[in-house]
Amino acid sequence: MIKYFLVVICLVFTQLIEQNNSYNTPKNWPAPFYNFKKNKLSKEKILLGRVLFYDPILSKDSTISCNSCHSPFSAFTHVDHAVSHGIHDSIGTRNAPALMNLAWHKSFMWDGAINNLDMQSLAPISHPAEMGSNINDVVMKLNRSKLYKKLYHNAFNDSIATGEHTLKAIAQFMLTIVSCNSRYDKVMNNENKFTPQEENGYQIFKKNCSSCHTEPLFTNGEFANNGLASDALLNDKGRARITQKKEDAYKFKVPTLRNIEFSYPYMHDGRFKKLNEVLNHYTNGIKKSETLDAKLQNGIVLTSNEKVDVIAFLLTLSDKQFLFDKKFAYPKEVIHLQ
Amino acid sequence: MKNTLKLPFILSLIVFLFNGFNNIYGQSDCLNIQINASFKDKPLMLNDTVYAFKNNHKIRFETLKFYLSSVTLIERALPVWKEEESFHLIDFEERDSNALCLEIPDGLTFDAIQFNLGIDSLTNVSGALGGDLDPTKGMYWTWQNGYINFKLEGTSNLCNNPKNEFQFHLGGYTAPWSNVQQIKLNVANTSAFNISFNLLQFVNELDLENLNHIMSPSDSAVDYAKLAAKCFSIK
Repeated sequence: MIKYFLVVICLVFTQLIEQNNSYNTPKNWPAPFYNFKKNKLSKEKILLGRVLFYDPILSKDSTISCNSCHSPFSAFTHVDHAVSHGIHDSIGTRNAPALMNLAWHKSFMWDGAINNLDMQSLAPISHPAEMGSNINDVVMKLNRSKLYKKLYHNAFNDSIATGEHTLKAIAQFMLTIVSCNSRYDKVMNNENKFTPQEENGYQIFKKNCSSCHTEPLFTNGEFANNGLASDALLNDKGRARITQKKEDAYKFKVPTLRNIEFSYPYMHDGRFKKLNEVLNHYTNGIKKSETLDAKLQNGIVLTSNEKVDVIAFLLTLSDKQFLFDKKFAYPKEVIHLQ
Repeated sequence: MKNTLKLPFILSLIVFLFNGFNNIYGQSDCLNIQINASFKDKPLMLNDTVYAFKNNHKIRFETLKFYLSSVTLIERALPVWKEEESFHLIDFEERDSNALCLEIPDGLTFDAIQFNLGIDSLTNVSGALGGDLDPTKGMYWTWQNGYINFKLEGTSNLCNNPKNEFQFHLGGYTAPWSNVQQIKLNVANTSAFNISFNLLQFVNELDLENLNHIMSPSDSAVDYAKLAAKCFSIK
C-alpha cells in the first residue's frame, strides 16, 4: 500500500503543482531553493512557458527554440552534440546542460553566470552564437501574435507581453521539469531493489563520487576543477570568467548525473561520448593543476569490474517517465489552435 | 424639490472647481523632484550636440541612464520617510522618466534626501522584475546576471578606437565589485527642489585615452561609480 502511495506522489507531482499553486518536494529531498512566492505557479503560466520554450520566435531569425538544444528525450540537452548550436549554424563553446530539478539550483550555466532561474533564458536569447536576439525584439514579436495575446492574458490577466512576464513564464515551465521517478528513487523509497552489481556500484559511487555528485540531486551545485586538460584553442577558464579569481580557473559547475544514460556527450565541452570514457578520465586522465579539486589529487582508483558496476548503478538514475512525459512535450494542442 | 436638486449641483461644482484648480496649478499629492543632467551649467543635450572639454577636445553623448533607488527623507540624521518599491530608471532620452513623485504625508519635515545610485544586491538576485526593472529597459546584463546601475555612451576624439566611442556600463552586486553608491544631499527648501547630475564634472575625471569601455564589474567600474556619485547636487 505504501509502495503505491509513493509511486502516486511522484506520478502526480506536476499536477499537484498546477492545482495547488504549491511545489511538492519529493520524499527525502531538500527544500527547493527557488522563491515561489515571487513567481506563483499556475497552469496557464506553465503552459505559456512551454509554448515559448518550443517556439523559435525567441531567436533572431525564428529558427532556433530552447528545445533545439534542450530536447526532453535526452534529458533536455542536445544529444550527440558536443557544444551548442545556434542561428546561421553557429557553434558555441560549451555543452548544452541537461535541464531538470532546477528549483534546487542556486546558479545556472557551467560557470554559474546566472543567479536566478527567471533570468536564465536571457543568456541564450542574447548570445550571438545561440539565438542572437534580445529580449526587446522578442517581446515586440510576441506582441504582434494573436496566439500570444491570448496566452499572456490567460496567464497574467494582461495580454501585453513584457520582459518580466516572458521570463517568468519560461521559468515556470522549467520548474516543472522534475525527474524523481528513476529506479534509484524507487529503491530509496523501498519499492524496488538494486541488483547485486548495482548495489556494489552504488557503494563504490558513495565512496568515490558522491561528495560532488551528492544525492538526491546528484550534484552539490558547487564549482570544481575535475582535472580535464584545458582545450588549447578555447582555453575556457570556467568560473574564473565570472569571478575573475585565479583560484576559480578551470572550475565548472558539477552537473547532475540523473538521466546520465541519455544526456551524452559529457563534460562542459562534451569531450566524452561514453560513460566508460568518463570513468577512465577519473582513474587515468586527471591533469594536475593549481586549482585541481583536492579530492582528485591522486585520481580515483577503480578496477575494470568496479567501473562496470558503477556504470550499472548510474543507469538506475534513468527516469523514462520523465524522458517521455507528455507534459513536457511540444504543445501541439495550443499551436494547433493558431 | 428645487433645493434637493440644488445641493448636489453645488457640491459637484465645488469638486469640479477644486480639481480644476489643482490641475491648472499642477498641484498633486506628491513631492515632485526633477532629475536633471547638466553640462557646463546647461541642460544636457544628447546625440547632436558636440561639446568642447579638456582643452578643446570634443565629446558627444548618446545615452545617459541610471537607476535611483531606496529614496529616503532624513531629518537630523534620522530617516523620517522611505519610499516603498523605490526603483527609478532615469533616462535622459525619455524626459518623462526624470521626475520622482514622492507620496509623503502632509506636513512632513526633512532636511536631507538620501538615495542609491544603482540597484541593491538583493534585488539583483530576485529574478524577473517589472516596471523600471524589466530587462527590456536595456539595463540588465545577459551574459552575466546583474543590473547595469549607470550607463553612459558617446564619442570623443580622445577615444583611440575605430569609431571613437566610449561605453561605460557600471554595475556589479557582489564583493569586491559591489557597485551601488549611497548618496545623501542636504535640502534647504523642502517644498521645491531638483537634483542635478553634473556630467562635465564626471567626464573631466575620465581617462578616455586609456579607458573608454567598461562592460563588466571591476575595480574601475567601482571607481567610476564613486565618481558619478559625487556629481549629484541639489539645485
